[in-house]
Amino acid sequence: MYIVQVLVNGILLGGIYAGIGLGMSLILGIVKLTNLAHGEYIIMGAFLSSILTTALGIDPLLTLFVSVPTMFFFGYALQRVLINHGMKRGAEPALLVTFGISIILKDGMLMLFTPDARHVATSYSNSVVTVAGIDISLLNIILLIVCAVFIFVLKRFLEKTDIGRAIRATADDTEAAQLSGINVAHTFAIAMGIATAASAVAGTCVSMKWTFYPTSGGEYLLIAFVVVVISGLGDICGTLLAGVMFGLMQVIGGASYGRLISYIFLIVILVFNPRELMGRFLRDRRERSLSKKEVKADE
Amino acid sequence: MNKKKIILGLGFVVIGLLLFTFGEVGLFSNNAMRYLLQIFIYITLGEMWNLLSGFAGMTSLGQQTFIGIAGYSIAMATTVYKMNFGTGILIGVGICIVTSSLLAFLLLKMEGMYFSITTWVIAEALGTFFLSWGYVGQGAGMTISISPYPRIDALYAMSLILCFVTLIVVYLLLNSRLGLGLTAMRDNISAASCMGVNIGRSKFVVYLIAAVFTGLAGSILFINKGTIYPESGFSIGWTISMVFIVIIGGSGTIEGPIIGSVIYVFLQEFLAHYPGWSNIILGIIAIVIILYMPEGIVGAIRNRSFTKLLKKSKGK
Repeated sequence: MYIVQVLVNGILLGGIYAGIGLGMSLILGIVKLTNLAHGEYIIMGAFLSSILTTALGIDPLLTLFVSVPTMFFFGYALQRVLINHGMKRGAEPALLVTFGISIILKDGMLMLFTPDARHVATSYSNSVVTVAGIDISLLNIILLIVCAVFIFVLKRFLEKTDIGRAIRATADDTEAAQLSGINVAHTFAIAMGIATAASAVAGTCVSMKWTFYPTSGGEYLLIAFVVVVISGLGDICGTLLAGVMFGLMQVIGGASYGRLISYIFLIVILVFNPRELMGRFLRDRRERSLSKKEVKADE
Repeated sequence: MNKKKIILGLGFVVIGLLLFTFGEVGLFSNNAMRYLLQIFIYITLGEMWNLLSGFAGMTSLGQQTFIGIAGYSIAMATTVYKMNFGTGILIGVGICIVTSSLLAFLLLKMEGMYFSITTWVIAEALGTFFLSWGYVGQGAGMTISISPYPRIDALYAMSLILCFVTLIVVYLLLNSRLGLGLTAMRDNISAASCMGVNIGRSKFVVYLIAAVFTGLAGSILFINKGTIYPESGFSIGWTISMVFIVIIGGSGTIEGPIIGSVIYVFLQEFLAHYPGWSNIILGIIAIVIILYMPEGIVGAIRNRSFTKLLKKSKGK
């Protein structure tokens, strides 16, 4: 029974971890940029929701209607004004620009919000549902649903809309996309906007689940790295799966060793398979089905 | 050309000896020596990061690993085992060599972003591990007690010597066959490999040298500081300052980190009057320099003198 309880907790936590990794995965997959400011975006989202909740007295999940568009435009502007110019000079200057942005955001938040711990409490924060002798936290279920819905909507958006197609085309081949008349600077900025919007969602979940500080961005950046490396770059559904795996690792490792286990796991993956674990598996399967189709077409 | 080199070399030695004697005779106040010590340490750290990133194309975000290891070795050796600090520094260097050789096995196969991320994760993992390791005092850290505690002029002399040895080593390395191979490797790794550069060995040597000198700088830093705890030893802040110093001065030049460190130490001192703003302003300066002056101050000066030369030759 105890083991089932632990597994359920881990799986439910997976939603938040997937949300944390989602923005990073999009940026790495589409813009091919290592965004070192990702953790700070998440903390910004957390602060936005905490401020709006106390100011308006509404449920923190409702603040998403304000914080998601705000963060989208923030990310769009940042990419358009700064990072696109850095990327013209190569991968390393772009990486260092995001490094600079992360320092500025972190210290900016320290001055604005003081270094105190914050947490957003709701009426259902501590409610527990008991199913067949297993205690399930209501908050965890809600957060998993929020993240899963967001991931699903995003996937449909990338598949069905014109701008989504433009984003995928740019991710596959930037030059070919440019030749077909896609404004790459605009597309990159939209992708960054979506990633920061995803960070706003993750930030709201983080603010409801844990306490956070202006300086905890680095912690979430590392979580995002682990999730992205497990799932593979730009693979949105893989992110959810990787989030669940990461959640299980955290729960099994406990409070004292969860972080260490995940770091070691990340290093092991990076050493033995510098590309991705899930991603490679999924790609192999896709290629196999593609080659089958080709065989059929030849016949 | 050769004459110019000799003059430069002589100037370098004279400046070094002057700084050394001024320090030992007591011409500098303790405060001045403290600033100079910081500048020397940051020059060492900056040169080593520059060697990795600017010359060998290995952008590491985890050099704080060696600062932390060296700091903790000296703290353990002097405080718990009552050795003198010279032995402590040697032990720290030894551990740095062993760790960096082990890490090199993991790291040197990786390229680009994966290398940067893994170095940082290793530093974070070590920091987390030290937080819960009872042997080194867990999160509370350690107070370094050496009897007799080295005075500021002794530390000043040590950092000065370290800084000058670093500069000489970097200069010799870059003018050797290995250094030429390194720059070739940074510009195009497969072309360099085709021309017979032993990529694995060159990367290994550079990584090892960077680890040793970063460790040495770290041990002097923490003797000067007096206390060490996981968040200060393995802090990403060390990498922030190395990156800043190299970018301001000019990545891929020997002079760059020297100018960068002087500016960095003075900026930090100046910005200390505006608490909270210092990192914000450093970040803004770094972004502006990356976007508008990509070769740093040294690069900008070089370009200007180059265009002057062009104009002169046209005038003739």
